[in-house]
Amino acid sequence: MNDTPSLELFDVSKRYGTHIALDGVSLEVPQGSIFGLLGPNGAGKTTLIRMVAGITGPDQGSISFFGEAMSSEHISLLGYLPEERGLYKNMRVGEQAMYFARLRGMGKKEAERELTDWFQRLEVDGWWDKEVADLSKGMAQKIQFIVAVLHKPKFLILDEPLSGFDPINASRIRTEINRLRDEFGTTILLSTHDMSSVDELCDHVALINNGKKILEGPVNALRENARAGRIELKFRGNLIGFTAALGAGAILHEALSLGDNIHDVVLGLPPSIPIEQFLKWATTEVDVLSCTPKVVSMDEVFLHAVNAVSNTDPS
Amino acid sequence: MNRWLIVVGREYKTRVRKRAFIISTLLGPFLLVGVVAAILFIGMSSTEMNSKVLIVDHHNLLTYNIPGEEGVLKASCQECFAERSFLEYSFASKALDTEAFLESEFTAMIVFDDGIMQHAKALLQYEFAAPMKVQSAIKRDLGEAIERLRVKSESKLDYETYKKLKVQIGLSTENIVTEDRNIENKSVVGFVFSVFMFMFIMIYGMHVMRGVIEEKSNRIVEVVISVVKPEHLMGAKIAGIGLVGLTQIAVWSLLSWLLFLGFGVYAESSGLLLNSMGEQGAQVAATDFMTFIQSNEELGVLLQVNWGMMLGWSAFFYLAGFALYASLFAAIGAAVEQESDAQYLLLPAMIPLMFSYIVNVFIIESPDSTLATFCSFFPFTSPITMMVKLSVGVPWWHVAVSSIILIMTVLLMVKLAGKIYRTGILMYGKKPSLREMARWLMYKNT
Repeated sequence: MNDTPSLELFDVSKRYGTHIALDGVSLEVPQGSIFGLLGPNGAGKTTLIRMVAGITGPDQGSISFFGEAMSSEHISLLGYLPEERGLYKNMRVGEQAMYFARLRGMGKKEAERELTDWFQRLEVDGWWDKEVADLSKGMAQKIQFIVAVLHKPKFLILDEPLSGFDPINASRIRTEINRLRDEFGTTILLSTHDMSSVDELCDHVALINNGKKILEGPVNALRENARAGRIELKFRGNLIGFTAALGAGAILHEALSLGDNIHDVVLGLPPSIPIEQFLKWATTEVDVLSCTPKVVSMDEVFLHAVNAVSNTDPS
Repeated sequence: MNRWLIVVGREYKTRVRKRAFIISTLLGPFLLVGVVAAILFIGMSSTEMNSKVLIVDHHNLLTYNIPGEEGVLKASCQECFAERSFLEYSFASKALDTEAFLESEFTAMIVFDDGIMQHAKALLQYEFAAPMKVQSAIKRDLGEAIERLRVKSESKLDYETYKKLKVQIGLSTENIVTEDRNIENKSVVGFVFSVFMFMFIMIYGMHVMRGVIEEKSNRIVEVVISVVKPEHLMGAKIAGIGLVGLTQIAVWSLLSWLLFLGFGVYAESSGLLLNSMGEQGAQVAATDFMTFIQSNEELGVLLQVNWGMMLGWSAFFYLAGFALYASLFAAIGAAVEQESDAQYLLLPAMIPLMFSYIVNVFIIESPDSTLATFCSFFPFTSPITMMVKLSVGVPWWHVAVSSIILIMTVLLMVKLAGKIYRTGILMYGKKPSLREMARWLMYKNT
């Protein structure tokens, strides 16, 4: 993988009148990654995406693609699927897809070939001459997805790509997103509220809140960070006795009795105590059934970070 | 291919292939001719109803009693009250009361008394209003009858000599600078052009607004402006739709011309020409259509109009005027999310267009008035007013100045509208006020 980030934002700000939509955001999206852009509603995600898509420009700061300052040269490298999306009602499906392919700089023949391929892949072949007005919502969304990726963009922006799809088609689209990355090395900037798709798709994420970036990094590192040394321990024995024996060595966060004197607890270990050392001690106290690092969902990472910021930042 | 041209192509192609466009473009001239023909036909058929007019002559001023036939009167001047297919006179010495009149076969009644002789005003009473054609025939007939009475009683001339002495002057006009003649009739042609100009700017301007609203409301605009700059998208939309209008103008012009020629051939071969010449009592024995048109007072103007010049300038003023209004409409479309929200913004934008259309009625009356001159320079009215000015002849510098002002305004307006469009197209949720839209003009170009 090339070290030059495919997208780099440096100290980017954007304001609309008195409203500050983005405030000094810097980001690096590694090449070939699926980069999740997260944040509550009104955080500034759409503003950021619109700037990356070339729709608006920053008031301050710079944006570069593959090490070069963003320019109209990059239009054919970009693919963009906006969150709320539509199609022209007075055009047929194939014609419409061709129109966008040609806008992105594809030749007629190449566009036709790719379209045929994509139509087969997403099982929409035979729709070429269909009126857009006759499509169901799900059908239209498939076409919109195809339109966004048809020209094999090196950098693909997907804003809530799975919303509105039924589970079967959502999974099909997820497969295609992964395939684009794996086969063509496409970098994907994915904005979503749906944490399960972040868990399943993204390798990097950034979290934006109130126009500021509050978190960025590889998903695993962020999870590890949010885990904060917590482990999940399942044992058979006396919970009260065990807790008393813990003393100040570890903090009990959660406890769940599963019956038959079996308990499931979440413990926070101080960084000074390695998990192996703790486990050695625990086996002397109770009958340990299993011990794993606490699995932190992206939901928790997200909530944790947003709460942390809102607690410290009154604005 | 240039991205801009791809967008222009889409705007153009998706519209010209619509069934409604094809039908209206091909049938337009036929429809127009059809409507005119229908009006003429209805007008003619309404005069087919025979009007029977009773003239009540108490004092036998216009009539005499037929000896031996009690109460039957006859006109003293038979030529004055000649029978026509649509008008028939009867005379009586006593007026009918309302009931008797309604029961009678008469459709109208005039009581001829001294008042008519003195003030030349008569009262036509009717149950069903008499057509204009009948009324003017009655006026002519009564006028001639009274004239004969007066000539007889007040001069030594006989009526035929009097008629020979009478002179009516026709007035032809010529502009000493441009040497244009008979501008009154030509200005009517100009007026027709201006009506079409108004219609095309209005219809296709609305197309632009609707197109913008469609793209905004279904959010497709975001995908397009990630590829094409918003100002360029707006420009491409205006250009594409403007060309659709130009196509329709071109096809209509061509079809109308063919229709005119076709009608000429039909008129020549079917003998229709000779019939109508005979009816009009024309002195020129024209057997070909063009000579017929030329000799006709009203239609003759058709051959005096410089059609090439008119069409060429129409195309220019249409494109420029359309670009001016369409950019306004595009900015309005970008500011709203649905057509019904656009009404309050549309009104101020349409006022100059409506104004120039209404004011044209006065301008054809006097094409050289101050109002006409002002309107022909003012860019929001000039595309429409100039049609009338051009038809009656206008110095070249006048056209040049008007064109330059218009082009400069178009450039400025496209730039300003582009700024509003750029901001408005990505704003959702609330209806902006005019003040807010003005603020968008100040936003930086990013």
